[in-house]
Amino acid sequence: MPVSPTLPPATPIKDVDSLRLRFEELGYVTDRALATAVYLLIKLQKPLLIEGHAGLGKTEVAKVLATLLGAPLIRLQCYEGLDISSAVYEWNYQKQLLAIKIQERTQQSVEEKEKHIFSKEFLLERPLLQSILAEDVSPVLLIDEIDRADEAFEAFLLELLSDFQITVPEMGTIKAKHIPYVILTSNRIRELSDALKRRCFYHWIDYPSLEKEFKIVRARLPGVDPNLGMQVVRFVQNARQLDLTKPPGVSETLDCVHSVMSLGKPRLDVQTAEETLGCVAKSMEDSAKLRATGLEKLLT
Amino acid sequence: MEATTRHEDPAYSTAAIIEFCHFARTNGLSAGVQQTLSAVEASAAIGVADRQAIACALRAVLTSSKEEWDLFDRLFEIFWNGARSETGPPSGETSDARFSVNKPNPSSRALMTRSSGETSSTDGEGKAVSGASAQQRLQKVDLSEASHNDLFALEQICLRLFRKMALRLSRRLKIRNFADRVDMRRTIRRSVPHGGDPVVLAFQGRKPRKHRLVIFLDISGSMNSYSLFLVRFAYALQKYFPQTHTFLFSTDVVEITGMLRTRQLPEALRKLSQCATGWAGGTKIGESLRSFNRQYGRKLISRNTTFIILSDGWDTGEPATLAAELCIISRRIAKLIWLNPLMGLKDYKPITRGMSAALPYVDVFAAAHNLESLLALERYL
Repeated sequence: MPVSPTLPPATPIKDVDSLRLRFEELGYVTDRALATAVYLLIKLQKPLLIEGHAGLGKTEVAKVLATLLGAPLIRLQCYEGLDISSAVYEWNYQKQLLAIKIQERTQQSVEEKEKHIFSKEFLLERPLLQSILAEDVSPVLLIDEIDRADEAFEAFLLELLSDFQITVPEMGTIKAKHIPYVILTSNRIRELSDALKRRCFYHWIDYPSLEKEFKIVRARLPGVDPNLGMQVVRFVQNARQLDLTKPPGVSETLDCVHSVMSLGKPRLDVQTAEETLGCVAKSMEDSAKLRATGLEKLLT
Repeated sequence: MEATTRHEDPAYSTAAIIEFCHFARTNGLSAGVQQTLSAVEASAAIGVADRQAIACALRAVLTSSKEEWDLFDRLFEIFWNGARSETGPPSGETSDARFSVNKPNPSSRALMTRSSGETSSTDGEGKAVSGASAQQRLQKVDLSEASHNDLFALEQICLRLFRKMALRLSRRLKIRNFADRVDMRRTIRRSVPHGGDPVVLAFQGRKPRKHRLVIFLDISGSMNSYSLFLVRFAYALQKYFPQTHTFLFSTDVVEITGMLRTRQLPEALRKLSQCATGWAGGTKIGESLRSFNRQYGRKLISRNTTFIILSDGWDTGEPATLAAELCIISRRIAKLIWLNPLMGLKDYKPITRGMSAALPYVDVFAAAHNLESLLALERYL
């Protein structure tokens, strides 16, 4: 299990505002709504579903929360066709085959042999089972992009999220010693089932305001020249007003600032914007649209 | 639950929060009793009784989608503000009027009369069409000329035939994907009695890939005689193909998937008549497709989507817009099917400006004037 031993001891969180401060100390700029949602997640131990466009820091919430609580982060990336054997557990087949061979000459009965090869020793723990089996602290379980998994998997999650237990037919039901803090993220590629939503707190992350985005840039890239930061933020904010197929998120803003800095440019002018356009526009149509609007106009 | 922590401010007492939950539920949030309990717990957990904190907490608990998230602020504002400035205890009734359901408008009422006409004919004239020959005849009847009685019979046949069609399609998928991978888990298990030699192999088939259907139905004036039946067609498709999304369009687009997802057709039509606007209006196919692309494109358009447009192609918008939007869609989906009721006419040629702009992007261009032509759709799915 990926538990790093050097984690700092967790201090209890008093209220929403102190939680918000702790988040900002760790370089994550939040608003009160998100801080409240995370606070409720911690206090009431109910999963939190975060929805929003790509690149607005949904996944980051879980990472920061794990650091803040000093808990291990267990991440499950969802994709179409994700099944139990890669999300929950799998038997170690090679090891099982070997064990059967070794047992061949012993006097054990078939039942005993079977019991042996379906014991914990042969179980490969995948993220969801790991989160249930945590021994000493509640881990943070991040179920990323749940909208990419299919409905069948979503239905399976319901048992886990309401009872925090997993059934392995060969072994029985395993109940969590420490209830994990669960964060689910979704890009709204498809609508999630009502049953799942009902079990979660909900938070919608929207594009940040100019001030907030600037604050994020300052927090994430402490070395940046404030003027440059402001220029890029304004540029991206303007670009978002256009009707792009993939509007740039905050991660695009950070990429853009980073690239301009790496290029050694002191400020974002039309030429630099042209060179780093790939950070902001992620398709040919979008680049064309940005150019058609005029980069000078977007920079002001 | 320690509701005692907040006794400083009676405005956010447990009773008030429960009442707010009730108010929110009657005004469009889907939160149930479970959420009400959570809301009380959450407000207790927050501790402070300042208004913004309560708003944040209740929003996290009571909403479950972007739409509800946006709606919440308004509800919260109306409930607590209305209560503070006017009468004493906060009450839902006063503001209910602002959130009441739209009354059905005259044009959509046509839909209702037609459907109620049919339901009443169930007992009396159901016998008029029986036997194979009647069914054969009905399948060929042009939908615009079908009488009310026929329409009911058509509906029944339609539902039955579509069920068969869906069954055939799903069976076809399973057989094709039979046993393409060894199932290690079951193989090991079966090998135990043979001393660990995998004598009996267990196989697993791949799950059939789910195809998604998007139905884009024209309800403008020129389609009037067909669209009322085609809605029923969409209902039948949606019933047997779970991954179906249905949209109505004339000058703008509206999703009706949720409304068609009821067990009984009359119920679906009743819901529909309460909401859909633009029945028998003008047509702007290009514009409608554009707003579809913007709102639903990312969610619904993918490699396993079949996009079905049901329209006669009479477009008052710019053909260039139509072509551009169709180009975007056709590049990213499996198949674009255009069903045109006018194809049933003997000497019809797709030469209207809209239709000829669209044709290069259409994979299948077929008729949709009677039940037979609609059932032929199976070939393309």
